[in-house]
Parts: sequence; C-alpha cells; structure tokens
Amino acid sequence: MKHYDAVVIGAGVLGCFAARSLCRWKLSTLLLEGAGDVCTGITRANTAIIYPGYDNRPGSRKARMTVRANAAFPRLCEELEVPYKRCGSLMLSYGPAGDRVLGQKLAQGRENGVSDLQLISGQQAEELEPGLKKGISSALYAPGTGTVNPWQLGIAACENAVKNGCELRLNSPVTAIGRQGKDYIVETAGECFSCAVVINCAGLSADKVQELLFPPRIRIFPDGADYLVLDKNVPAPRHILFHETEEKGKGLTAVPTVEGSLLLGPSRRPLTEPYAVEQKGIEELKAQAAKLLPGLNMDMMIRSFGAVRPKPQMMELRAGEYVPTGRDLGDFPMDRPEPGFFSLIGVKTPGLTCAEELGQYLAAQAAEYLDAEPNPDFDPRRAAIPRPAALPFAERKALVEAEPNYGEVLCLCEDVSRGEIMEAIRRGAVDVEGVKRRTGAGLGRCQGGRCRLLIEALLEEYRHGKL
Amino acid sequence: MESCDVLIVGGGAAGIAAARAAAEHCWGRILLAERGEAPGGVLLQCAHRGFGPGLTGPEMVDELMKDFPRRVELWYNTTVLRITEEKTALLSGRGIGLRQLAFQRLILATGCRERAFGSLGIGGTRPRGIYTAGQAQALLNQKGRLPEGPVAILGSGDLGLILAGQLSEAGCSIAALVEQKAQCGGMARNRRCLEQYRIPLLCSATVSRVCGGAALEGVMIKDLDTGAERYLPCKSLLIAVGYEPERELVRGLEGAEWLQLCGNCREIHPMIESVITEGKTAGYDCVT
Ligand SMILES: Cc1cc2nc3c(=O)[nH]c(=O)nc-3n(C[C@H](O)[C@H](O)[C@H](O)COP(=O)(O)OP(=O)(O)OC[C@H]3O[C@@H](n4cnc5c(N)ncnc54)[C@H](O)[C@@H]3O)c2cc1C
Ligand SMILES: Cc1cc2nc3c(=O)[nH]c(=O)nc-3n(C[C@H](O)[C@H](O)[C@H](O)COP(=O)(O)OP(=O)(O)OC[C@H]3O[C@@H](n4cnc5c(N)ncnc54)[C@H](O)[C@@H]3O)c2cc1C
Repeated sequence: MKHYDAVVIGAGVLGCFAARSLCRWKLSTLLLEGAGDVCTGITRANTAIIYPGYDNRPGSRKARMTVRANAAFPRLCEELEVPYKRCGSLMLSYGPAGDRVLGQKLAQGRENGVSDLQLISGQQAEELEPGLKKGISSALYAPGTGTVNPWQLGIAACENAVKNGCELRLNSPVTAIGRQGKDYIVETAGECFSCAVVINCAGLSADKVQELLFPPRIRIFPDGADYLVLDKNVPAPRHILFHETEEKGKGLTAVPTVEGSLLLGPSRRPLTEPYAVEQKGIEELKAQAAKLLPGLNMDMMIRSFGAVRPKPQMMELRAGEYVPTGRDLGDFPMDRPEPGFFSLIGVKTPGLTCAEELGQYLAAQAAEYLDAEPNPDFDPRRAAIPRPAALPFAERKALVEAEPNYGEVLCLCEDVSRGEIMEAIRRGAVDVEGVKRRTGAGLGRCQGGRCRLLIEALLEEYRHGKL
Repeated sequence: MESCDVLIVGGGAAGIAAARAAAEHCWGRILLAERGEAPGGVLLQCAHRGFGPGLTGPEMVDELMKDFPRRVELWYNTTVLRITEEKTALLSGRGIGLRQLAFQRLILATGCRERAFGSLGIGGTRPRGIYTAGQAQALLNQKGRLPEGPVAILGSGDLGLILAGQLSEAGCSIAALVEQKAQCGGMARNRRCLEQYRIPLLCSATVSRVCGGAALEGVMIKDLDTGAERYLPCKSLLIAVGYEPERELVRGLEGAEWLQLCGNCREIHPMIESVITEGKTAGYDCVT
C-alpha cells in the first residue's frame, strides 16, 4: 500500500488549492477525485465573483480571508495565468430599506478594512452604468470586486500542484476510510492508500466522507439555484451589479464575465435534482433582469444552468438520533474531528474568493501537525494554454507559423484554435465539456454548433493515441 | 498589406454563385475563403435528394463547381476572423498562417447557424445525448454514425422531418417529433416519412424538461393547450427549431457600400434556387 504524507479528497477549486498549498511544504501529496475530471462540482456552477469583503461579519475568519484574498488576487492570477477582471461592483438601492442595508455594509466594510468602498448617489451610479433602471436612491461602489472563471482557476491550481509533485487520481471516489495506528487508510474503488493527514474537500459530499470514519457533526442540506447567460453582444453593464430589493428576498446579481458574456443569477429555491435548472427560475431571472436593465434583450440568452448550494448545519445527538441544531455556522464550515483529519464541509460564498487562503490555512495546519519543512523548490507559476486570440497580430502570426494548429480556428464564436483544443486534451480534458472548461470552445452563442463534432473527433483521435 | 478586389467569405452555394458571377464581371483579384476543406457548406451534409432536379447535396456541389473559373483563388481551411471598417480582413488557416488582407468589396456568404439548445430555456439537467439536428445529420451522412435511439426530435420543420425520415430508414427508432405549433411545419414531400415509418407527431407540444444524470434518459413533453406534462423515455434529443443568419463578422458594419450579403447569412432560404440567385446578384455587382 502506497503511503503519502497527505491525501486530499475532492478536486474542486478548494481541493486543488489545498493540494497546491501542500506542495509549498516538503510533503508527499495525493489528490483524489471521484469524477473523470477536476472542477465539475460546485466549482463549475457559481457566480464567479471575487468579493472585496464588506459582506462578512467583522472579526470573522471569512472577513479576514476575503479582504486578504481580494488584495492578492491579481498576483494569484498572474502566477497561474488565469484571466481576471477587476471590474468593480455596484450594490444598488431603490428605496429606504435598501439605503439602510447599504449603510450597514459600508460601515462593516470599513471595519473589515475594505478601504476603497464608497457610498455614491443614484445620479453617480447612473453615470457609471447608464443602462440601469432609473430611480436609484444610492449605491455602494466597491472598485475591488472582480470576476474570474472559477473552473479555470481550479484547473490552473491543479496543474500547478501536479507540476510541483502532487499526484492526481481521477475516477477515484473515496468509499471507505479507516485507521492504522496514527495513519489513515483511504480506500477508493480499486485501491488503498495510507497517509498521515487527510484533507477532506469533497464539496457536497464532504459530510458523507467525514462520516465514513466519524460521527456526524456538520451536515449539508442542499438548496438549488438557477443561472442564465446572455451573449457577449448584449449591452452588458461594466460593473458587477447587486440589486438590493425593497421587498424581502434576494435581488438580481449580474456579472460581466471574463469571457464577455453576462451571467445572471442565482435564483433561490429548494433543490429538485442536483445541477438541474428550473424553467420557473429562468423566467424569474429574466423578469428581474428586464426590470433592472431594461435595455437587455432576453432573446440573447445562450445558456442556462442549475447550481447546488450547500447549507451546512451543526448536528447534535438527540434521543439517539442526529438532528440539525438549526444554528447557522456563520463562518467557514471547517472541522477537525481528530488530529490529522481536516474537513471543509459545504463551503459557500466566498469560497471561490478564499480558495487560496483556505488552501494555505489547511496546508499550514497539516505542516504543523507533521512538523514539515518548507519546500524551497516550490514554483508557483503555471503556464496557460497559449491563447492566439489574445495576442497582438505579430505575435499571433509567429505562433501560427511555429505551430500551424494554432492557426486553425475551430470555434469561431470564441476564436479557439485546434492547437488550444489539442493542448487541453493533453492536459486532461476527457470530453467536450472538459475542453470547453479549459479553452472556452463552445461557450459562445452557437454553443458548439460546429466545433463540437470536431472536438469529439479530436478526443477520439487522442484515445487512439493519434494526437 | 496583401490585397484583393473582391473577397468572398464562405464557400457554400451562395459563395460559389457569387464567385462565378464576380469572375464574369470583375477583372481584379477575386478570392474565396472557406473554413472547411472543400466547397459546399451545408450541402455536404445533405444526403437527401432535395436539390434542383432531385440531386443530393454533394451532387449539387459538383453541379455548382462545374467549370469553376480558374481565376478565382480558392482558399480552403481558411477562416475569416475579423472584418474592419477600413476594409481589411484577418484570415487564419493551416496553410496560409495568419494574414491581413485589404479588399475593395466584400461578399459575405457565411450561411446560418442552428438555434442552440441552450437558448431555449428548457429545464432539467444537461446530460450527454443532446445534439442539434445539423450535427446529427452530419454524423449520419458524413461519418455513418447514428444517435442512440429512441430519439426525440424537437421541431417538425423540413430539417426535423428529413432527419426523422433518414434516421428511420437507417433503423433508428423515433420516439416522437415534437412541434409547438398546431400543425407540422414542413413541406408535403418531407412529411411523407411520418406515415411511412409511423413516426408519432406531437403537435401543440414542447419539451419542457430534460431528465438524466450523465446520459439522457428521457424528456418531459408538455401539452401547450392543457399544460399537462408527461414523460417520454429517449436516449437522444435532437434540436431542429430553426436557423439564425450567421453574420457576426459584419456586426456594426451593416449598410457599408462595399459590403453585400447573400444566401442564408442575409436571410434564411428554404430553397437553394433563391440562394444561388442572391449569390449571382452580389457577384454581378462587383463590376470593375
Ligand atoms: C450558487 C453558488 C454561488 C457561489 N458564488 C460564489 C462567488 O460568486 N464567489 C465566491 O467566492 N464563492 C462563491 N461560491 C462558493 C464557491 O463556489 C464554493 O465555495 C467552491 O466552489 C467550493 O468548491 P469545492 O471544491 O468545495 O466543491 P466542488 O467544486 O463541488 O468540489 C468537490 C469535489 O469533490 C469530489 N468528491 C465528492 N465526493 C468525493 C469522494 N467520495 N471521493 C473523491 N472525490 C469526491 C467531487 O466530485 C468534486 O469534484 C458560490 C457557491 C454556490 C453554491
Ligand atoms: C439542413 C438544410 C437542408 C436544406 N435542404 C434543402 C433542400 O433539400 N432543397 C433546397 O432547395 N434547399 C435546401 N436548403 C436550403 C439551401 O439550399 C441551403 O441553405 C443553401 O445551400 C445555403 O447556402 P449558403 O451558401 O447560404 O450557406 P452554407 O451552405 O451554410 O455556406 C456557408 C459557408 O460559409 C463558411 N463560413 C462561415 N463562416 C466562415 C468564416 N468566418 N470564414 C470562412 N468560411 C466561413 C461555412 O464553412 C460554409 O461552407 C437546406 C438548408 C439546410 C440548412
């Protein structure tokens, strides 16, 4: 049985960053993922916002980590060569109830150290975003809010971890965990590993993974959410928008994504099926968006998708049964049932923002427990798949001359070449979705109308060892 | 910068017709850029005998390419990526690399794209097994591959019907042809397959939900008159709900005096004859 210092369970954005951070120490690390590819869970379906940190309770770990993470994001995305857009956000109020909330957020943000927050007038907000419904009473402007492509961030972290020596096993759902002395024995469908540290980042299943060995402490009660995406040709706002409604319930969030499309959502509803989208949710979002941004043409919707929102709750034993206490966890739901076993159980917003912070935190805990030394050879840099479309003419021409595959554009909507797609497949994409996540091919208005068959053919060639 | 007099983008029926006409009237350099490896466009994926005097798509291409004027430079495997107001084009391709090209006149003949599943707002999961009708047609006619049956087809226009007929003939079972209108949309000659293969046609109905985990298991069919929903098991869902002109390249340039659009990128044509006429008119306009 192979032994590792640390085994990370789950290769979502949090597991990938935990694995990457572990590589900063002299530790042998294994990353286990149940699915056939990384970042196919919550990381694939969320709002993609890098928060500035005014939403969180002062003094909480969430607040501290978010403010730090936001400041570090440009550096992180440069290291990992992931596109990042620091577009700023406007939280919009249309009446007294909203104004009060904005006032509270401003005070909270200041206390948390978000120094560049500004409360601006409705008129100023309309100048910043001319497409908004008129009648804004005030707006909270946060220049530091940004957006990133969540799965590209996770995939980049994973590639970087592997480059620094972490082993990755896909199609390896953990089915049992046992103990052998101080070590843990982690069992997947076909294999067994022993390790001194387990880091459980199994997302929506993190409670079940912990309960493979320990009694329930935190359990996830999932909710559902819907999103829709509008074509990049709509007159999208330049800032991320949060609508603070006067009525009860959550207002719309609109995100001009790094790809240039406009993401609307999430709606709130009970869970139906994991990752299913509900027509009612789509209709609601369309109606909200039509109100807030009257110039948007909803016929420009190119895609909708469903998300799963984990709602972690503390459990307690009552009359021989584990029941939720109803107490909100407030901060990031972390647990350490016994030395050497660390769990993140159902991390919600701002988990994406804090992915690196949480990874560093877990790795530091593990390193302390194992008394590990820093790894002087750790290289934080990861090279992205070349992106001809982003290059100036002369550089793009040179790339195409050196490697003709980068000259053959297969996805016209997003300008993605055969070379990029081949590289994505070499880096681990196993299906059309995996290629889409790594290259953006098929994300555009025709949703893969032409390139999908070409990509399927390339995947087929690769499977036959011909690429 | 390299230059030409007439640049034609797209080598389908419209682009071919335009190039031929331009060659008769314009003495300058004429260039046709086609991203595929051969001329024909959508015709290449059509095995049915629906063109002109009962030809298949590929036969129609041979007809269109007969005695094609040598003067026209054919650049295959070449995608036009951008058109600018200053009358330049950015082209990219395996053989030609990346090039900028100045032109006097541009004829856009880029055809159409199918309306995608994602734009329909259908609820449910997103399993594998959902294709556009054009993709299914291309797989069948160019690769000999069938979608996994039973198959549900959304949309009973000509493409939906033609596909239903071809798939039935190839031995694939069609669970239903689902049409939101009260009646089937396609031409009479394409409707014949419904009786021939006893294909269930569900009118005033739509697909309201997709069901399945990794792979498609079925769809919910909603009766648009009563609102009632019922489950229809199927392994593939083919989307045949129409086309949209493909003219992103010239977004914002519409109306420029040097620009002409012809074929399906101008408006969707059900018949090839009018596509060819439009192509010719665009080509004849390039007098020098
Ligand atoms: C609706 C929504 C919107 C959000 N919006 C934002 C936002 O705008 N900004 C922000 O900062 N944060 C946001 N978040 C939070 C952020 O998206 C999450 O915190 C983060 O993506 C969680 O990542 P993860 O790695 O924990 O989960 P996942 O991505 O789900 O990864 C868990 C992985 O574990 C694997 N796994 C499960 N069980 C096993 C097993 N037994 N063995 C092996 N592998 C297993 C799964 O296959 C999966 O790949 C949002 C969250 C939600 C739900
Ligand atoms: C599925 C289908 C079935 C049909 N069946 C019949 C029938 O039975 N009988 C009939 O009379 N009519 C039929 N028609 C109608 C009509 O005949 C065809 O639509 C006609 O062939 C369209 O020609 P086109 O040149 O406008 O478009 P297309 O054939 O689509 O040609 C467009 C070309 O442009 C190329 N292109 C696009 N963008 C770029 C770019 N940026 N750079 C370079 N090249 C580019 C594409 O690769 C393509 O080759 C059918 C249409 C369809 C879609």
